Amino acid sequence: MDLSVIVPFYNEEACIEDMYNALVGALEPTGYSYELLFVDDGSKDATFDKAKEIALKNPRLRVIKFRRNYGQTPAMAAGIDHARGRILVTMDGDLQNDPADIPLFLEKMDEGYDIVVGWRHKRQDKLITRKIPSKIANWIIGKVTGVPIKDNGCSLKAYRADIIKKIPLYSEMHRFIPAMASLSGVRIAEIKVNHNARTTGVSKYGLSRIYKVLLDLLTIKTIVSFASRPLVWFGYIALVMGLVSVIAFICAMLLLSEAESGVAMMGVSVLFAFLMTFLMLSGVLCELIYKTGDQKVEDLSEMTSEEICYTTSNKN
Amino acid sequence: MSAKIELSVIVPVSESRYDGTQELYLEYKQALETTGLNYELIYVLDGPYPDVELALTKLIESGEEKLRIIKLAKYFGEATALKAGFKHSSGELIMTLPAYQQIQSDELPRLIALCDAKVDMVVARRWPRLDSVFNRLQSKVFNQILEGLTGADFKDLGCSVRVLKRRVVDEIHLYGDQHRFLPALAYRHGFKIVEEDVQQSQKDAFQRVYSVGVYVRRLLDLLSVFFLIKFTKKPLRFFGLVGVSIATFGGLILLYIIGDRLFAGVPLGNRPALMLSSLFVVLGAQIVSIGLIGEMIIFTHAKKIKEYTVEEIIN
Repeated sequence: MDLSVIVPFYNEEACIEDMYNALVGALEPTGYSYELLFVDDGSKDATFDKAKEIALKNPRLRVIKFRRNYGQTPAMAAGIDHARGRILVTMDGDLQNDPADIPLFLEKMDEGYDIVVGWRHKRQDKLITRKIPSKIANWIIGKVTGVPIKDNGCSLKAYRADIIKKIPLYSEMHRFIPAMASLSGVRIAEIKVNHNARTTGVSKYGLSRIYKVLLDLLTIKTIVSFASRPLVWFGYIALVMGLVSVIAFICAMLLLSEAESGVAMMGVSVLFAFLMTFLMLSGVLCELIYKTGDQKVEDLSEMTSEEICYTTSNKN
Repeated sequence: MSAKIELSVIVPVSESRYDGTQELYLEYKQALETTGLNYELIYVLDGPYPDVELALTKLIESGEEKLRIIKLAKYFGEATALKAGFKHSSGELIMTLPAYQQIQSDELPRLIALCDAKVDMVVARRWPRLDSVFNRLQSKVFNQILEGLTGADFKDLGCSVRVLKRRVVDEIHLYGDQHRFLPALAYRHGFKIVEEDVQQSQKDAFQRVYSVGVYVRRLLDLLSVFFLIKFTKKPLRFFGLVGVSIATFGGLILLYIIGDRLFAGVPLGNRPALMLSSLFVVLGAQIVSIGLIGEMIIFTHAKKIKEYTVEEIIN
């Protein structure tokens, strides 16, 4: 099978049928063999019943029903876990993404990219509460992770299945999939997509709390840059702390006038030396965790590496 | 017995509260017989309880063929005893009962009947309560804290009478003292749970005052369940918040006193605030790095931990 399209739904009884028809209409002309995976994220309305009705008539549609509402990332993770296609496409279930864009993604994938992300260049959302915060967030995410993507929040993305299935996807990580995927050295392309204003239902995402995104970023940064060598990461920070300790020590010895006692400064120096030791040992602990864990960055490298053959063109 | 077991009743005997084994068994038996289901009744001894074992073997010898005994080699905790019971039983429907009189046993068939196709778990609630105000107060506090922490609204988690489908125990990994929280954990997994009022037994109505150690342990249990539910996937969300706040607090004080030294000439070396603020910065950094270790653990094991529970797949 070439293609699996994964669509999470949460209380979308009004547009699930339109979505299905739009998807079939967009995919049929491409000639790809495909399946549709609708994930019902514990909807309280008739979303599942409607999906089931369609699925019983059309075996190309598969429906996964969650026991309760888990959120968008787990819904996509479930879709990815159950998908059988070679290329996976994820998108929102509220018709804000346009299924007609999917063929463009497939074209890009055929050009040899591993991940293609959508960019809602004419976004139909409120300026102050949605567009500006998301611009800032995307800029920061790009700077910190080193994967400059204009629109991390756009759900419409295409992946090579073997790569995305190996990438851990949890909590609210769907924003950071391109960054996570950069662990494996993937080729990422970005294309402009349509974005429709909501026709039915209400938006389910508000301004998310900033501290969450910031802490997630710290996590991603740590994992992306240092997952396979945590001791180095902790070592760097330990070094800084060691420097503070040395400065404090010098202060205690030299700089303080006779009116001041050097004892407290000495204490500070010792404290930071402790912290340095603690950080180094944390690094060792992380090495141990990495060694015993299942997720290995080395394994990811195999999928994106290729053998380069030099053809001697000046033979004749 | 050739017929398929429909209902497995599990009675864990754990810690020291158990009474009148023989009478209790006969009471349970009488109640279970009226359901007409083909049942088995399994006593799980969590370590050596010679008197209980003796009473039960006598019952088996006297022809009680539906009674089974599983004995654990040492004390493991009630949740482990329950798990052993789940593992050795075969009924699609499971009922857990206490090894002491907690509710009127003639209520059992009603509870079992409630656990129909639409419901995954029935939790009994002792109501109206016959026991002292003190008992009720402590159990109320416990249940309130749990509701605040997990959002699971149960009135009486101290009552261990529960009826559940096998798929619930297949999905939930219990350990330590978590048996009390089984309904809360099941709720978090999205199972449909019904809480039902039942008559409390007269014999359960004495006043219970536990030692301080027990209360501390309960509190720590609550905490561990809270972390389990809220932060297993995102340890840095918790550690980061705590650590960054502490470090920022310390950092601000540190900046202030360094400023004082540089611009106002107030001596720095002999200020206790210097020690205190450095201590806060160091503590904050340590807490954040523990959070990062947690994130590493999650990252390396994330593929094994399923975050969602699937109820149904079509096609």
